[in-house]
Amino acid sequence: MATVTNSYPSTRSRRVREHFFRGMSLVALIFVIGPSIWLIADVVIRAAPHWQWSVLTTVPSGVGGGLENAILGTLVIMVGVLIIAGTIGVLTGIHFAELQQPRRNGKAGGNFLRMATDVMAGFPSIVLGYVGYVALCVGLHWGFSLLPALIVLSIMVTPYISKSTESALRQVPTNYREGAEALGMSTGYALRKVVIKSALPGIVTGLLIALAIAVGETAPLLYTAGITNNLPSTSLIHQPIAYLTYYVWTDYNQPIKATQYLSFDAALILIVLVLILLVSSRLLVNRTQRYAEGRR
Amino acid sequence: MRNLLRSLTALALVSSGLVVALSLPASASSKVVTCFKLEKNVVHTQKFHGTCGAGWSKKRPKPAPVADDSVETPGSASLTETGSTLLYPLWNIWAPAYQSEFSQVSVTTGGTGSGTGIADAASGTVNIGSSDAYLSSTQLTSTPNLLNIPLAISYQIIEYNIPGVTAHLKLSGTILSQIYQGSITNWNDSAIAAVNPGVTLPNLKIVALHRSDGSGDTFIFSQYLADSDPTWASKYNYGTTISWPSITNELGENGNGGMVSGCQATSGCIAYVGISYLNSVLSDGDTYAQLENGNGQYEMPTSTTVAAEAAGFTSKTPASGTISMIDGKINGGYPIVNYEYAIVNKSQSSTTTAKAIRSLLEWAIDPSYGQSSQYLGQVRFEPLPVKIVTQSYKQIKSIQ
Amino acid sequence: MGDEIASSGMTLPVSDPTRRAFGLRRVGSFLRGSEESAWRWSARVASLIPLVGLVFVLTVLAIKAWPAIKVNGPGFLTRSAWSPGSTYGAPVRTDGVLHPVGSSYGAWPLIAGTLQTSAIALIVALPISLGTAFALTERLPPWLARPISFFVEILAGIPSVIIGLWGVLTLGPFLADHVYPFISNNMPNVPLLRYFKGNVGYGEGLLTSGLVLGLMIVPIIASTARDLFLQVPPLPKEGAEALGMTEAEVARRVTIPWVRSGLIGATVLGLGRALGETIAIAMITGSILGKVAPNVYGTMTTIAATIVSQLDSAATDGTGFAISTLAEAGLVLAVISIVVNILARVIVNRTSQHLAPVGRG
Repeated sequence: MATVTNSYPSTRSRRVREHFFRGMSLVALIFVIGPSIWLIADVVIRAAPHWQWSVLTTVPSGVGGGLENAILGTLVIMVGVLIIAGTIGVLTGIHFAELQQPRRNGKAGGNFLRMATDVMAGFPSIVLGYVGYVALCVGLHWGFSLLPALIVLSIMVTPYISKSTESALRQVPTNYREGAEALGMSTGYALRKVVIKSALPGIVTGLLIALAIAVGETAPLLYTAGITNNLPSTSLIHQPIAYLTYYVWTDYNQPIKATQYLSFDAALILIVLVLILLVSSRLLVNRTQRYAEGRR
Repeated sequence: MRNLLRSLTALALVSSGLVVALSLPASASSKVVTCFKLEKNVVHTQKFHGTCGAGWSKKRPKPAPVADDSVETPGSASLTETGSTLLYPLWNIWAPAYQSEFSQVSVTTGGTGSGTGIADAASGTVNIGSSDAYLSSTQLTSTPNLLNIPLAISYQIIEYNIPGVTAHLKLSGTILSQIYQGSITNWNDSAIAAVNPGVTLPNLKIVALHRSDGSGDTFIFSQYLADSDPTWASKYNYGTTISWPSITNELGENGNGGMVSGCQATSGCIAYVGISYLNSVLSDGDTYAQLENGNGQYEMPTSTTVAAEAAGFTSKTPASGTISMIDGKINGGYPIVNYEYAIVNKSQSSTTTAKAIRSLLEWAIDPSYGQSSQYLGQVRFEPLPVKIVTQSYKQIKSIQ
Repeated sequence: MGDEIASSGMTLPVSDPTRRAFGLRRVGSFLRGSEESAWRWSARVASLIPLVGLVFVLTVLAIKAWPAIKVNGPGFLTRSAWSPGSTYGAPVRTDGVLHPVGSSYGAWPLIAGTLQTSAIALIVALPISLGTAFALTERLPPWLARPISFFVEILAGIPSVIIGLWGVLTLGPFLADHVYPFISNNMPNVPLLRYFKGNVGYGEGLLTSGLVLGLMIVPIIASTARDLFLQVPPLPKEGAEALGMTEAEVARRVTIPWVRSGLIGATVLGLGRALGETIAIAMITGSILGKVAPNVYGTMTTIAATIVSQLDSAATDGTGFAISTLAEAGLVLAVISIVVNILARVIVNRTSQHLAPVGRG
């Protein structure tokens, strides 16, 4: 007759393993939360003592000045990447999701395309930047300007958008598709009205995280966007454009303190920008989720 | 989909609102005027609110010409400069001063490194490249129209971080070469102690810092080592990047700033740094060395010693400006001195751009404007000797 | 998002006719009008763009690298010294390629450094990501899980140059002062573990780079893992619990195998990011060319970091050979990245018995 002990599970080793598992998963959380807070606190501590609000409204002049050119430049780049990479990425994600399962017999092309997207996802940014410099800035004589920067950044960021779009679309239960089918909708119509609507939270989150990644890139922009003290102009080529990460990378160990402070200020503004993007993605997700779940 | 469109429209409205809001203050007209004063044949610039202060006038004065140089008045243009991180702080000081006199020219500066400066000037991606090293024969062969125009005189210090030692140690090129080759590994080595009697050197490992990015500082430092030590010359030679000997205690740093901060964090370090970073070095609590020159004298890096070295090389400087002022046999001269160059293509795409570039460079080399101590003093550079100003002016005039 | 019964994970025979119906739909839609094909064609074209981009980048790289490939030869992958030669002297010609005298490039320390830092990053990131994902999905109540998963997104979004700044100015010195000496002094002097002893350095080096890199790829793996774990249907898990398995055993024997291919995909994505990370690594590795790190704290460099720090000095080589060599190094990195991706696909195809029934409902 088996002895029923009061503790669960019955053997000691399994109990130990259970507690270890529970404990370690909480410890893992600490390793995620701790460094994030430490990072942000570090930047704030370095930037706050010398912060001046004029940094937002003046351009760099001489050794100090402000970052207005870089802030506007980063915003312009962000909007540009949203338009280019957002369109391409979402459409690519739709294509992969509608191509059914990746292993499905038939489309060898599907595997190839997917692999290309995966490889591009982690591609060294400096190589992309230099290729952009060689091919676009020098080869096509565009010089340091906005368009090469947008092209290179979009190539970098599209895989992330397509991946999140594809995974969001896959999470939509086939119920919805079957229901739409039963009602006689065409695939495209069903896509627009039913599937994408319910996948919207995932798609929007992917878009905003990809934007945050694009905004934080340095190496590709160093070789395609150049730098300027002027505010962004309307021309796509021949006019360099400023961006915040340049100042963080170049100025953090300059001999004159005023320039150093500019670098920490740029880091602070970048973090604020990224936080705004992430918080708005959360808010948008909450709103669209309510809409998707039918509570209009 | 409609919701997504709504959210995107909101985002677009917000960002365009931000754009408008931020550009409004910048476009508001300021009541700040730029005024000039001629003092000791040097033009001083200062901004005032409303009207100029006593002794200042809105009209740009004409100083007595010291060297063969006159600053042209350009049309409206937009110039870009990039290159040496050593010249970057100086360009950041020159650019607004120049623009306050010639507001029709906008000057953007960058600090991406000498190599990129040269490459970009050669390809025409920027108008002016800055470099601490002159052009190599290969570069001149591939882009024959490139000029290297001396703009200022800079020098290099050897800084070290030895807790407890505040004296300016005497170091020679041979000792430095041996340190960087790994034959001298400790600060209390007999070779160092021999030339520094009276200084108690601790038992501390030497950590040799070198630049991991391409650098004019590496160029002149390796030239000094090559000049002093024939083994170094044959094995490692000199250049903006060299293959550093692999020793146990070494670190590679990015940029002059990286050298300074790396040395501050590393006890026992030794590093070669451009003079404009002296304030950072001292504020970190580190100090620098006296170096042995070609005559065997140990000289501190000061205005006098550097000027002496430069004067000694003035007659030898060719019209192209291609020369290194390293380890000269000059009495009282500091051995690591170099010209800072502007790399410019002789043929520019438009006459307006060419005129603007000429104007900017002429302003920079003019003893009454760019070479005055109110600018150079902030980065501790030395002004060009008069003969070199004339030579540079001739080069600048050839930019069309 | 789908109701309980429908997401039971059972194979629904209805799926097949559905797919067949979609196929018929495709034919029918051709008659239905251009709106349908406009969607399909624009999606198809868009999906080709990453491939076109990749091919374009590889082609430009190969063209730029060709002179260096000819001269450096296969020894490029095994030599250690990185020597630009005499850039200020007269150049010479080898195999029809102009290059400075004495130039000899070897990428072995770069390749080793790349693989080492990525390995450390994976070893660090996998447990943390999986632990975080489990904590977020199983252990924490939803009202707590949502704000905490926000931290994961923050880590994903922080620019790598800022992480590099923090690594160099704050984390590196902290680790070198407090953590590394402790490890170094207490590690037994056994052959394998000897790698952890020795000169601790000042924070810049292999271990710090690996740790920071691991931190950077945690969000990628963790957020995908969390989404995957949420999709595992509750019935198998509940069944396992009913059989008496503990949470740990459920995780190990039910959840993870269920989403194994997705996890491998996420890991490969993270690994790709780790292999290609440029700016943060360039700031933290100490950038020493020419040798592999002697111990785990030693300074070294990776391919990407070398490209970013040497690109400027390569531009001073008037023959263009140095830039060609850097392009060759970039090509090597691209090849490594592609090989890793192919390997991952092979592993997924060989080991998963069934595909995760994502989206069944």
